[in-house]
Amino acid sequence: MECVVQGIIETQHVEALEILLQGLCGVQRERLRVHEICLKNGPNLGNVASEVRLLCDLEQPEPAWTVKHVGGAMRGAGAEQISVLVRTMVESKVSKNALRLFYALGYKLDHELLRVGFAFHFQRGAQITVTVSSVNKMLKLHATDEAVPVTPGIQLVEVTAPASSENYTEVVSAVSSFCEYLAPLLHLSKPGVSTGVVPTAAAAAASLMSDGGGTTLFPSYTA
Amino acid sequence: MPIKWVLHWQPNVGTSVNSQILNEVSQCVESINGVKEGRWKATLTFYKPMLRDQSLAAEFPRDFLGILIPEQPNKYYFVIRAQRIVLESDSSIQTIMEKLQSYKMRVALNFEGFQYQLGDFQLRVGKVVPTHSENLRGIVMEVEYLPVSSIEKSRQIMEEFLDIWQASLSKRSLPGHFMHVEPNFTEYGLPDHYSSQHTAVQYANVMAQLIASVQSVQSMRN
Repeated sequence: MECVVQGIIETQHVEALEILLQGLCGVQRERLRVHEICLKNGPNLGNVASEVRLLCDLEQPEPAWTVKHVGGAMRGAGAEQISVLVRTMVESKVSKNALRLFYALGYKLDHELLRVGFAFHFQRGAQITVTVSSVNKMLKLHATDEAVPVTPGIQLVEVTAPASSENYTEVVSAVSSFCEYLAPLLHLSKPGVSTGVVPTAAAAAASLMSDGGGTTLFPSYTA
Repeated sequence: MPIKWVLHWQPNVGTSVNSQILNEVSQCVESINGVKEGRWKATLTFYKPMLRDQSLAAEFPRDFLGILIPEQPNKYYFVIRAQRIVLESDSSIQTIMEKLQSYKMRVALNFEGFQYQLGDFQLRVGKVVPTHSENLRGIVMEVEYLPVSSIEKSRQIMEEFLDIWQASLSKRSLPGHFMHVEPNFTEYGLPDHYSSQHTAVQYANVMAQLIASVQSVQSMRN
C-alpha cells in the first residue's frame, strides 16, 4: 500500500519549492529522469481490464527497470474523510527485457511518458518521497531525447509514502502534516482531484528566494 | 557466480524413470566421495492465460514459466522458451501477476533432492515431482564448478568431469543416461559470465526435454 497526494506548481516557482523542501527534509535532492511505459491487457486476455507500468530509471549508469502495479483506492466513509489517497501498490525491480516479456504475454502499449525533475527521500513520521517533475510526451515511440512537455510551464508534485493496513493512519497523518508546510506554494490533494495553483505561490516563492534557503523559513512553517 | 550445468535423465527407449534409479544415482555420487550437504528445492510453475475466447489460445505463450531458484530466494524468474525471453525480478512480481488476473497457475513442479560437495564441484541430484505429489516425472542433476564463472573457460573441465561421472554411473547398468543439452544463451541475450538467469533458462530447457521424452513415450504406446 501507499499513501499519495498530488499537486501542481508553475515552473517559475519550482526553485523556491526546492529551497523549501531542502530546508524541511535536510537531505540532498536526487535527480529524476524516468521513462514510464503504461501497458494494458489486450481485448481477449484476462478476466478484468488490467494495467501495469514499466519504469525505467534513466539516471542510473545502466537503465534500471521496475514493474509497478497501482491498485484500487481504499474506499468507505473513513477513506472519504481523509485528504490523502490510500491505495494498493506493488513494485518489483526487474531485468531489462520486461517490456519484451509483457508484449509476449499479450499486453499492449497504452501510452508512455518521460518525467524529468528531482526527488527528496526522507524520514518524517513515515518514509516520505517528494517528486517534482515535468511530464513529457514522446512524439516518436520511445524517443526520450525528443520529449516535449505535456503542460508547458507546469510541473507535477507528488508526495508518497509506503504504508500497510496496520499503520496507514499514522502514515496518512505524517503525509498530511508534511503537506501543510508546502501549502503557501502549492495545494496537495488526492490524485484526480484537481485544485490548481495557489494564489499565494508568487509571494511565498519571492519570500523563500530572498531568504536564500536559510535555516529559518517563515516562522509559522518551520518544523 | 559459479558455472553450472543442469542435466536430465534420459531413459532408454521403452523404459521410464523410477525411484530406484534415483537411489542408484545418489549412491553413485557418494561412491565417488561426494559429501552430502543438505537438501535443495527449485519450483517451476507453468502459467496459462485467462482468456475470454479459448479459440484464440494460440496467440499466447504456451510455455510461460515462473521459476524459484534456491540460491536466490528473494528473486523470481520468468522464461518464455519459444521467444527466448528470460526475466529476473524481485519475488514481489508474483503479487503483481496475481493482481493483473491475466495469467494463472496451470501446474507447478519441484526439482528437489540432495546436494553434495566433491572437491571444487558441487553436485545436486533431484527428482522432478508435481507439488503436493510424489509422482516421479523425471530426474535432474546439477554440476557446479565453484572456481570459474565463464561458460567457455569451464567447458573442458566440465566435459572431463562428466566423462568420469558417466563412467562411474555406467558400472551400475541403469536403463538410461544423463544428458546435457546446453541452451543457446546468446539467443536469450545472456553473456558468457554465468548468472542465475542462465540457471532459469537451463531449468526451462530441462523441463521441455522432460515433456518431450514423456510425449515420445506416449506416442510410442499409442
